[in-house]
Amino acid sequence: MILPEFELHRPRTLKEALAAARKHLDDFDYVSGGTDLLQNYKNRLNCRRHLISLSDLEDKGLREVSATRLGALATLMQIEESAAALSGVRGAAAVVASPLVRQTATLGGNLLVETRCFWFNQSEFWRNAKGGCLKEGREACLVVPQKEICYATYSGDMAGVLVPLGATVHLEGLEGGRDVPLGDFFQHDGIRKNVIRKGEIITHVTLPASAQKLKAGYRKLRIRDTFDYPSMGVGAALRLEKGKLAELHVCVNAVATTPLAFEDLTAACVGKPFGEPEIEALCDEVVARCQPYKNVALSPTYRRAMIGVFLKRLLIDLTA
Amino acid sequence: MSKPKPDYQVIGKPVPLVDAWSKVAGQAVYTDDIKLPGMLVGKILRSPHAHARIRGIDTAKAAALPGVRAIVIGKEATAKFGVLPISKDETAMAIDKAIYIGDNVAGVAADTEAIALEALKLMKVDWEVLPAILKPEDALKPTDDPIHEKTVRGTNIHKEVAQEFGDVGAALKTGKAVATGDFEFIGITHAFTEPMCTVALYEPDGRLTIWSAQQVPHYLHRALADVMEMPMHRIRVIRPFVGGAFGGKSDPFPHEMICALLSRKCGRPVKILFDREEVFLSNHGRHPTKTHMTLAADADGKLTALDLKAQIDGGAWGSFGVVTTYYNGVLSMGPYRFPTFRYQGRRLYTNKAPCGAMRGHGAVNSRFAMEVLVDELAEQLKTDPCDFRLKNLLTSNTTTVNGFRITSNGTKECIEKTRKASEWDKKRGKLPYGRGIGIACGFYISGSAHRIHRSELPQSTVHVKIDMDGGVTVHSMAAEIGQGSDTMLAQCVAEPMGVNLSRVRVYCQNSDMAPVDLGSYSSRVTFMAGNAAMKAGEAIRAKLVRAAAALTGKPEAGFICRDEQLVYALEPSVRVPYMDALTKALAGNGALIAKGVYTDAVIPQQDRKGSAAGLSPSYTFQAYVSEVTVDPDTGFITVDKVWAAHDCGRALNPLAVEGQIIGCIHMGLGQALQESFDYHRGHILNANLLDYRPISSKQMPPVEVFIVESDDPEGPFGAKEAGEGPLLPILPSVANAVYDAVGIRVRQLPMTPDRIFDLIQKQSGKSLRLPPKKPSGLQPAGSQ
Repeated sequence: MILPEFELHRPRTLKEALAAARKHLDDFDYVSGGTDLLQNYKNRLNCRRHLISLSDLEDKGLREVSATRLGALATLMQIEESAAALSGVRGAAAVVASPLVRQTATLGGNLLVETRCFWFNQSEFWRNAKGGCLKEGREACLVVPQKEICYATYSGDMAGVLVPLGATVHLEGLEGGRDVPLGDFFQHDGIRKNVIRKGEIITHVTLPASAQKLKAGYRKLRIRDTFDYPSMGVGAALRLEKGKLAELHVCVNAVATTPLAFEDLTAACVGKPFGEPEIEALCDEVVARCQPYKNVALSPTYRRAMIGVFLKRLLIDLTA
Repeated sequence: MSKPKPDYQVIGKPVPLVDAWSKVAGQAVYTDDIKLPGMLVGKILRSPHAHARIRGIDTAKAAALPGVRAIVIGKEATAKFGVLPISKDETAMAIDKAIYIGDNVAGVAADTEAIALEALKLMKVDWEVLPAILKPEDALKPTDDPIHEKTVRGTNIHKEVAQEFGDVGAALKTGKAVATGDFEFIGITHAFTEPMCTVALYEPDGRLTIWSAQQVPHYLHRALADVMEMPMHRIRVIRPFVGGAFGGKSDPFPHEMICALLSRKCGRPVKILFDREEVFLSNHGRHPTKTHMTLAADADGKLTALDLKAQIDGGAWGSFGVVTTYYNGVLSMGPYRFPTFRYQGRRLYTNKAPCGAMRGHGAVNSRFAMEVLVDELAEQLKTDPCDFRLKNLLTSNTTTVNGFRITSNGTKECIEKTRKASEWDKKRGKLPYGRGIGIACGFYISGSAHRIHRSELPQSTVHVKIDMDGGVTVHSMAAEIGQGSDTMLAQCVAEPMGVNLSRVRVYCQNSDMAPVDLGSYSSRVTFMAGNAAMKAGEAIRAKLVRAAAALTGKPEAGFICRDEQLVYALEPSVRVPYMDALTKALAGNGALIAKGVYTDAVIPQQDRKGSAAGLSPSYTFQAYVSEVTVDPDTGFITVDKVWAAHDCGRALNPLAVEGQIIGCIHMGLGQALQESFDYHRGHILNANLLDYRPISSKQMPPVEVFIVESDDPEGPFGAKEAGEGPLLPILPSVANAVYDAVGIRVRQLPMTPDRIFDLIQKQSGKSLRLPPKKPSGLQPAGSQ
């Protein structure tokens, strides 16, 4: 498969990148690692005529990795191997795709990874033969037949741990910069995906200083121990104080159009002992709220059952 | 086995493959590396419908596109072809109707890939969509519009086989123990690295040269002659380096015909390179199969009956399917002795990508069923699975109930070695819940005893040439596809001549320069081309010995050739260096030229239809033990270790044999654990390597290999095959280990975690947590 024709722009600064975006506002994509985007281009999925590469940006902080700050252009391998990053963050980075992909793929790209669905991630020949779906501009969704919302599955791994850690996304755009809590960043629609505005670039993600007091982790369901996108993922961050739960945040990933959080359920656990019975009760409530769709690998029934298994194991490990 | 091992010079030594350096250095020339002056890019218009009549094709707009040099459509080449002469049902392109999604409809050659792709979009096909046969069961029904003209009783059944030897019904009734099961195997594909690629050049003098990634250049040669309506002598087939094949490049293919037709039409070289999706659409992988099997044993623990039914889903073309249908039955005739055997096999045409030959062709699925049921019988009879197997083995030098001649047979040693090394007796039934160990055996052919084109021509011919430089060139059309056949030929020639391997170069690519070999399929090359190579080496040796005798005045009979010396054995101080003997032999004669041939072995054959199917000059045997860990909460299987014993007769190159065994385990684990060819209404859902999911290196267990050498009486230096048989036992050995670990019997492959989880839940009486009746509403992060 060959790539479609496009013009590649290689700005050296954020300012130049934004200027290029303004110029081609209705027909461009940003690209950094390209591991997700270019594969979709090969499949002729929502291709643009202009690609603005972020790889050459020289602005300070775009590749920085520390306990409280993660540059959007930091590669996942850089995060995985960084001694400064929180261990939960490093652990999530280490299970994305394969080492080869992680050498190129960036944090920003992982947060913005295209939602996935086996009606969508197909070749042009396949989609033409089948008839196509809402996400590529046709009439209706083939997963949940209706015409408003795309039910493609959110498939980034990093959000699975960054949401529980209380991360904030920092954006630079045509109208200046703004900060959005990662928990508010995603939108329930596989096409819209998130609140990012046309031309906006994620520059970095920050974690509150208090995140360093949390124990965090991420567990990923996939058939192979490498390469595969998540069929489901669970992340959690928590703190125990004197045998009682002082703080808990949980995220379930890759079972819906967005990462899912359960702040009401987890808040209710705070201030109490958090042993196996409490963990099991919480897992049951979380599972009850999740309804995976049949559009990625492994059956929805199984993925749903695994939410409970994976979350319980993760929470037991984090409280040990 | 009891005989002392012969003292060979190059045979039996672990040597890196002779083409290894050019591959790792990136210098091996694969078909896609070929670039000819003026070469065009060829692309194929494919059917978006599983079954549809072509009312018309309008190519005018495409033809008018600047840069388009030639367009071909089906009615321009109507001759039928197919790898089996008894089942020619393919044409270069669809003529009246397309019969699967991806079927070849038209070809275009253009200056660039982009122009060729644009031209495809400009072609308009007037389709009349027909009902598609997608489920195998629908193919059993009578129809007015079968997928192919020749079918059984007006249905879409391609081939039916019914065989019975002895009274199976009576044996089942009187059996002390009976094990039975319905098994289901989803289709899988080869997932080789190099996509199909072909370059064709039709020259003004009316000659055609084709370079193609092929395992069977000779069958391509024949099919091209049919389709192009050209005599074979005006066609030259060149097989460049092949980047993996595994049976997936063992048919003559429509894209090869299209490439040649395009080149003839525009007089320029044309290259067609598939993208990965096209490789999946072309498929020719393992057939989806439903297998019903019953085994019986008597009170002494002896097997008394094998009753087997197989329904195999062939997809759109015949391919090797007639053979596949027989193999699903008859390749169950070893390594155990069955006094009675009944087989009913059926292959169906459906409107899906064609299935064909894949490593372990026809034997893998029935083998899985048998080894699982053998374990169940052993359990019923309260016998250890190893002991039960040992008690029921065929011996050496015997005949099976269906007439297979068994010569060398090392199964017993295979079982004993893996049993001991794995500490089976300490582990089976004694490991903690979640961990288990399982055994399975295998049985495979070393080539088919008879040619598929019935004639008295040899199966393999090898030429050897040596001139005054002392270099030895070997010429053969045995197809090196990564399995090591070039190295094997070099060894088989060098050994009788007593020269170093470094003197030998193998030329196996060009049909004008090398004699016919039927190709690399059915594990025939080591046995057949190896024998031919050995005989060619012996013929050269005779010429050298004659020269040495003349130089020394000693009788020819007394010479041995070793370490580049011709030594008079009775008086070892009398010796002639190889180069001196060669110079003498060349005097007045010119270059030494010799050939060796392998013709069909004379094997007594029963007088019945299909009796040649599965008949082989020799068979290989295996026994594997696998140890696994099963996570009962998630259904994930981890294969912790495999002990693999394979009887290859003689390991000509132990390094290559070990590589084949480990490679077979890798490939077999894919089918066992996770690979599947998924369809949705005729559309392949996972036509890419991300979603198809071959086994990753991280999933590969450590393997301890045991090479068993039973010294075959007819194999070259005692050798038999090592490329396919070693795949067979891995799947059932894992399934049997899973049973030992968590107590579930697997009836369907692949053993994906969701399937295993489900089986464990059902077994323990727990039901899956059912989803709520209504979705509880999606809650984006932070929305609460």
